[in-house]
Amino acid sequence: MTDTRLPAPFGRGIDRTRTIAFSFEGKTYTGHPGDTVATALAANGVRVISRSFKYRRPRGLFSLGGFDANTLVQVGPEPNVPADRLPLVEGLPPISPQNTDGPVARDPGAVMGLFSRFLPVGFYYRTFFRPLGAWARFEKIIRTRAGLGRIDPKSPPPPHVRTRHLFCDVAIVGGGPTGIAAALAAASNGADVILVEAEPVLGGFARAMPADAFPTLAADIAHLDAANIRVLSGAVAQGLFSDGFLTAESRTDLFKIRSSTVVLATGVAEQPIVFRNNDLPGVMTAGTVRRLLHVHGIRPGTRAVVCTADDSGWDAAADLRAAGVTVEMVADLRAAAGEATATARAALSAVPFRFSTAPYEALSQGGGLYGAPLSAVRLCGFDANATVGTVTEPIACDLLVVSGGSAPMAQLAAHAGARLTPDPDRGFVISDLRSQIFLAGSVDGRTAPDTATADGAHVGAIAAKSALAAVPPTGTVRDGAVKAVPDRPPVTARTAHPFPVVRHPAGKAFVDTDEDLVIEDVENAVEDGFAHPELLKRWSTLGMGPGQGRQTTLMGLRILAAKRGMAPAALGPTTVRPPFTGERFQALAGEGFHPHRTSPMHHRHEALGAQQMVAGLWHRPAWYGPDRDKAIAEEVAAVRGACGLIDVSTLGKLEVRGPDAARFLDRAYAGAHTAQPVGRCRYALLLDVGGNVGDDGVVARLADDHFYVTGTTGQSDATYRLLVWLNANWGLDVDITAVTGAYAAVSLAGPRARRVLRAAGTDLDLSPANFPHLGAREGTVAGIPARLLRVGFVGELGWEIHVPADQGTALWDALVIAGRAEGIRPAGVEAQRILRLEKGHVIVGQDTDGLTHPDEAGLGWAVAKKKPFYWGKAAVDFRRAEGLRHILFGFRLKDPAAAPPPESCLVVEDGRDVGRVTSAATSVACGGVVGLATLPADWPKAGRAFSIRLPDGTLSPAEMIAMPAYDPDGARLEPEPAEAPEAKP
Amino acid sequence: MKLIPCPLNGPRPVGEFACLGPAKPMPADDAAPEAWADFAYAEDNPAGPILEWWLHVPSGTMFVAERDTVTDTMIRTLWPADFRAAGGRP
Amino acid sequence: MVFALLRYGLGRRHTPFRVLPPTPATLKPSYDVVVIGGGGHGLATAYYLAKDHGITNVAVLERGWLAGGNTARNTAIIRSNYLTPEGVAFYDESVRLYRRLSNDLGINTMVSERGHLTLAHTDAAMRTMRWRAEVNKSLKVDSEVVGPDEIARLCPELDLSRDKRYPILGALYHAPGSIARHDAVAWGYAMGASQRGVEIHQGTEVQSLEIENGRITGVVTNRGRIACGRVVQAVAGRSSEVARMAGLTLPIRTVPLQACVSEPVKPVLDPIIVSGSLHVYISQSARGEFVMGGATDPYALYSSRSTFEFKEVLMADMLELFPFLGHARVLRQWAGMADMTPDFSPVMGLTPVQNYFIDSGWGTWGFKATPVCGLTMAQTIATGTPHPLIEGFRLDRFSRFAQLGERGAASVGH
Repeated sequence: MTDTRLPAPFGRGIDRTRTIAFSFEGKTYTGHPGDTVATALAANGVRVISRSFKYRRPRGLFSLGGFDANTLVQVGPEPNVPADRLPLVEGLPPISPQNTDGPVARDPGAVMGLFSRFLPVGFYYRTFFRPLGAWARFEKIIRTRAGLGRIDPKSPPPPHVRTRHLFCDVAIVGGGPTGIAAALAAASNGADVILVEAEPVLGGFARAMPADAFPTLAADIAHLDAANIRVLSGAVAQGLFSDGFLTAESRTDLFKIRSSTVVLATGVAEQPIVFRNNDLPGVMTAGTVRRLLHVHGIRPGTRAVVCTADDSGWDAAADLRAAGVTVEMVADLRAAAGEATATARAALSAVPFRFSTAPYEALSQGGGLYGAPLSAVRLCGFDANATVGTVTEPIACDLLVVSGGSAPMAQLAAHAGARLTPDPDRGFVISDLRSQIFLAGSVDGRTAPDTATADGAHVGAIAAKSALAAVPPTGTVRDGAVKAVPDRPPVTARTAHPFPVVRHPAGKAFVDTDEDLVIEDVENAVEDGFAHPELLKRWSTLGMGPGQGRQTTLMGLRILAAKRGMAPAALGPTTVRPPFTGERFQALAGEGFHPHRTSPMHHRHEALGAQQMVAGLWHRPAWYGPDRDKAIAEEVAAVRGACGLIDVSTLGKLEVRGPDAARFLDRAYAGAHTAQPVGRCRYALLLDVGGNVGDDGVVARLADDHFYVTGTTGQSDATYRLLVWLNANWGLDVDITAVTGAYAAVSLAGPRARRVLRAAGTDLDLSPANFPHLGAREGTVAGIPARLLRVGFVGELGWEIHVPADQGTALWDALVIAGRAEGIRPAGVEAQRILRLEKGHVIVGQDTDGLTHPDEAGLGWAVAKKKPFYWGKAAVDFRRAEGLRHILFGFRLKDPAAAPPPESCLVVEDGRDVGRVTSAATSVACGGVVGLATLPADWPKAGRAFSIRLPDGTLSPAEMIAMPAYDPDGARLEPEPAEAPEAKP
Repeated sequence: MKLIPCPLNGPRPVGEFACLGPAKPMPADDAAPEAWADFAYAEDNPAGPILEWWLHVPSGTMFVAERDTVTDTMIRTLWPADFRAAGGRP
Repeated sequence: MVFALLRYGLGRRHTPFRVLPPTPATLKPSYDVVVIGGGGHGLATAYYLAKDHGITNVAVLERGWLAGGNTARNTAIIRSNYLTPEGVAFYDESVRLYRRLSNDLGINTMVSERGHLTLAHTDAAMRTMRWRAEVNKSLKVDSEVVGPDEIARLCPELDLSRDKRYPILGALYHAPGSIARHDAVAWGYAMGASQRGVEIHQGTEVQSLEIENGRITGVVTNRGRIACGRVVQAVAGRSSEVARMAGLTLPIRTVPLQACVSEPVKPVLDPIIVSGSLHVYISQSARGEFVMGGATDPYALYSSRSTFEFKEVLMADMLELFPFLGHARVLRQWAGMADMTPDFSPVMGLTPVQNYFIDSGWGTWGFKATPVCGLTMAQTIATGTPHPLIEGFRLDRFSRFAQLGERGAASVGH
């Protein structure tokens, strides 16, 4: 392989003492630390790195900054990695080119290029759809041709990327001379500073210049550390969001940076020249060439032609000469060179140069169908109106340096809402920045290298001043007075050529290499009616490739404007959106936190072999043991026959206290609570403003001004929010506290519950007379302070016992031990659902659907008839008067041996849907399948037959039954009625 | 992440808050159903300043904020008592 | 079919494929129908007015560029597996129209039937899926609850392991679920409408509406006043602001809905995957990009700004479903402005203003309704009577506390 490495002083950025091997396309190459994979390939003479999206043309190094799709490669399992952003390190996975059917230099897919004239812009909109259904067939083929890299679904996921939260006064994006100066100035004014740089090494554009061009750079970089400035190098600033929230991504970290002010020293993007075959490998920007020389010590070619519209091409030519490259010609699109070019021109005394000259076409030879890198260029006369003059003979060369000038890297500013105004001489100008965002250096038009430091110092000082002034008065006052702010250097008059577009009758002048769009594509789009920049973008996909239009937008807009007969800078750019460059899903996902909640007794359930079910954030035991049906049946039997223990810690729990507590609950809940005696529970029904059932639970009055309120697991947050919102409107003297997580709770239920509770030890009188059904008491259980609510959700004698969360396990253990002799068994959610269903008790959210009137849920009894007001009353009354269509009613299947229908199966009558099964289960106690269903409100009640349509379409006969189906008169709630009151211990 | 100025806790990330919708005067207890339906469902939904209920979830702090729905900037916050004292109007 | 391209390729010059008409230099003094909003819905309405009802003296007024609002910002999913019978019937008609839309309009809208899986991670979600499936089947919509084995067959790339935070218990499978080239749908309607004489005015902003005796008599724009017979607004995201000009208050809140797209990779994901509990959905476009989104933003906003937390939450959940996607990269994120109604059903049809019609409240579902919306609104405007498919979506339902609950099909099932 050609040795392209140059001796020092070239290659300041590489460590020649070390060599790193890597594999590309199955071959092993070597490079040095400091190289990227792209530059190491260039050093090895590999000129074709990828194939283009549509025509599969060969592509190579062009911009060397992750600005185009040319360098995207597959790195092991990871597709679309910009090789020019990928540092060459030890142990890289095998690297392969993308979008090629064979060796990248000889891709048979290049046959697509032959069809280019048959594939006009928007071609796929014109065809492939006739006859009806044709698209399905064509799409299969097109899909396989599209896309770049590959992701293998079987490949292991990448390692987690750390999320790091950083805070500072001033965040600076861009570690070139401007950003470095800004950081130092901000720090010297007392600000805490973070400096973000995409490259692994600081220096920015100065690295692409001879060392003596910026003699102070090394010292300045050294000062950063002394000034306690945090430098994030190798981190791409990806987005700038509301309130100056900045994110940056490195290979290992995702940084979330919160600062008072942000300085954008993001520099400029070199702009291409549009001419025939401007995409050939060997055509590259002036900045690329200079970086290859000075940073990487790579000779990018042996014979070069330079075509430029600004001074950077001249500088590149001078550097190439110094590196021993033959510069055949410098062609400048302008009529005369800029002032800054004088030095460069002096160094180029022997090199022929021409003004008012542009590249006419790049030529290649020997590639045949596959295409080949650059071998020659023809130049042409070029005037201010972009008229093509005399064309030269081909000039043989293997390097064509191009520069159409530069345009600001405005992406981050635009993310934060800045306006980009088109400008003929500067590409566009950024304005209307949010108050905490500042621009510095070339991004703000100050492109002269020798003004970078001064401008950075100016803006850095201002940003620090502004940040420190913004520190709230309660914050720490910083040491060090704000220093005098140096003056700002002037804006460079002209940075971009207004129209570096060279027409050629044979076309193939690429405006967008990522998307393979040429001049004619833009012009034809206008003829098709897509004359607005946004419409052009959508019709042609201009600027929608991985390069995000950094080097295509400007030229596309200018060609569009010209086609529409407007001045070159008449049209502004399309909206710029984050991220700055491809952002890895893995980095965004961070550590992948998925919060979940478990009850304080969770580990006990695990030890008992509980099968967990997910309910919102909660895990709850569904049943205990490996055999679902057996476990559930035993759990149900235990509750009905002895005693069950159900963890209900997930219930929503609220404390409502204050002089107006009763009044508040009376206004918020549908039931009556002002007259509720202390020591009593009442059913709590909460509606929404539209009169729909929202939540239910129990209100227990512990004192005149103190209520303990429970609700369903799923609604606890919503209920809390509704209640505090209601009181924010009403202003009653009441305090509402959410205590769901503060209490553990169990439901102890079954005919032997009282014996178990007594055995566990309690200071409460559990006798039916002194602790009747719906009683509420505070006392101790097994020595643990507890709230006991005597409720019967499962239809047996039972208590809900609420204790401080950290005592939950102790309570559980005490009850399990105390209940051993009584046949106690833990029961899960599934058993509880069957038990309550036998009783016809509604589960809000399962038997109601968010638009259910209380009457429709059979809960009309729970709505106070005489209260002048409760939340949702107007709607409840109005809808009741309008007439309700459904009612929730019990049913059983006619076939006692049938399996329960899946919940949500529909009730059908005469071929119409008339209702829906909301709950269904096989009940041993009821001798078959029972359930609840919403049915037409006007159906006669118990005994009416109807049909449930099963998922396979068959009908299952059922009949309406009165609920409760189990223990209709509630005798089981008090199995020991004769028991005499006991004395208090 | 956007910052929301909690009147109790100072500026905090928006993820700590829940917006509970427009803040407007509640109808009288015995108002006609139409008035309640309007309160429940009709929205001014202005492109511009709006009064809204916000809850700082970790601290349970409820407040009213005036926010511009075009620029997403918080103009001011007020305590519920002040909102009620003003009759539920700006 | 490919002959058109061949002819094109062999010809010397570009034969324009005139899709979008240029904006006429001036507005006429009067139109039979003025359509406010040049997005998919407005253009489709104009198209069917001209095609089905012979009403061609129509102006479509678009304040920005054509189809530049939510039509340009959605993630182009088409389906009809809704929860309410009204919703199912309505969207099913849309699916039917979409199937032959390319051929009707003469432009490839790239409607691609990929199948649509709504994953359920909880038994509550399974119940909702069953409900939707049963309602769908009643209306002859292809929709069924499937278990993990069938999911593995339909989308082997999904991580179906059970020891996850949100294991996949089952899914609602809707074979007709499709994706399309959203812009092309609007362009096709624009092309068809303009070919039939409809005028499309871009850069034309309605500034006020003149109302006399409960009728709109004039539409005042930045390019002059127009007299009009009937007026319809189809301006999702700005519905409240435009309705206010007609003196109407809507049950709508404008909320951003964000989305993002990855860099293109070779095809790896066939169906459209939605997870309601995880608030994510994903499909892979014909270009190879993953198109992804989540739930709406948590508060009202008239802005298409992007947020970081949207991507953060989306990706944490996406990688739960597809761990290998950690290797993919986000190329671009954006936002649209969704008209959210209390019941997630649209607000369509007549209004208290006699000759003013409304097409709003699309929430996150506007794109998939585009054809049926145009069809039904055109008939409603032409006849003055609501099309039977949209009767349930009437504005006045809320004053009767009568919601048309489509939330169960919502969360993120855009």
